[in-house]
Amino acid sequence: MQSIQTVTVGSGGAASIEFMAVGEIPDTYTDLKVVVSGRCSTTDTTATLAFNTGGTYTRRTLLGSGSAASSNTSAVDFRISQSGDTPSTFGNSEIYIPNYAGSTTKSYSVDSINENNATAAFQAITAGLWNQTAAITSIVLTPGSGNFAEHSTATLYGILAGSDGTTTVT
Amino acid sequence: MPTPTYIPLQTITLGSSASSVTFASIPQTYRDLVLVMFSKSVGSPTAANLKIWFNGDTGSNYSNLRMYGNGSSALSGTGSTTFFESWLDSTAEFTATNIQIMDYSAADKHKTALTRANLSSLQVQASTHRWASTSAISSIEIESSDNGTDLFAVGSTFSLYAIEA
Repeated sequence: MQSIQTVTVGSGGAASIEFMAVGEIPDTYTDLKVVVSGRCSTTDTTATLAFNTGGTYTRRTLLGSGSAASSNTSAVDFRISQSGDTPSTFGNSEIYIPNYAGSTTKSYSVDSINENNATAAFQAITAGLWNQTAAITSIVLTPGSGNFAEHSTATLYGILAGSDGTTTVT
Repeated sequence: MPTPTYIPLQTITLGSSASSVTFASIPQTYRDLVLVMFSKSVGSPTAANLKIWFNGDTGSNYSNLRMYGNGSSALSGTGSTTFFESWLDSTAEFTATNIQIMDYSAADKHKTALTRANLSSLQVQASTHRWASTSAISSIEIESSDNGTDLFAVGSTFSLYAIEA
């Protein structure tokens, strides 16, 4: 697993975090992983991702709030801490994207929490699908409202699988 | 110096549909394994019971605990017949499934794993698993179904990585 790019949000925040411009993520890996440490400038704990341009996303999420569990298909990919959460806390997320350079539609897996030293905080797992078959060449992360707060970070990793070898297939 | 992670061991890419794939002769020189599956089925529209067996053991030595969501309800369950239970769908996307197997080369403890399975059209799942054996894991068989009619589709990939402690 190799680090491709890290983005750190500076003073004043950022409306989004973008890995590479469209066309710039190399196709030399097998899978991608995005690790996010995020906080929002507003009271919004939600965030989304976008690959390249266009297409439709579908999601299925299992969500825990600290007091109840639920499931939904909302347009939310991952969670970030919000402005009212414990100061200096940042939500953490891992987004795994297998076969990102392949010619099939792109499924992805998300594990996510918004950190808050209180009884109310969200943890979520999400199954996502982008209905496009193009190779993923850029990724943009966007909070549900407002900006990513200063000191939010996101790192893009590339994962290279081993070669096909002697196997048993029945 | 950074510790190497996700050391690639082997990838299986299906050029024809298959009911199972096997990673054999897994080296015993690492601490954990990560199995990444990108797969779908041919056969029944929704083929449940994707299963994993270690060292050829298909006996009743496995258990799992799952939490999952179907888009409207949060659910939980247990299983006792296989290391892993998940789902594939011949009408939907290739699904992303990640499994981390802890201490696979240890010979003094039962084997456990954490998994994340995803099918955006059906369910999302996180689960924990145990194989009640102290044997080091030297082979992993992944089976597409228990009825012999559902197969992994062409283009399904199975990548095995090792992690050093």
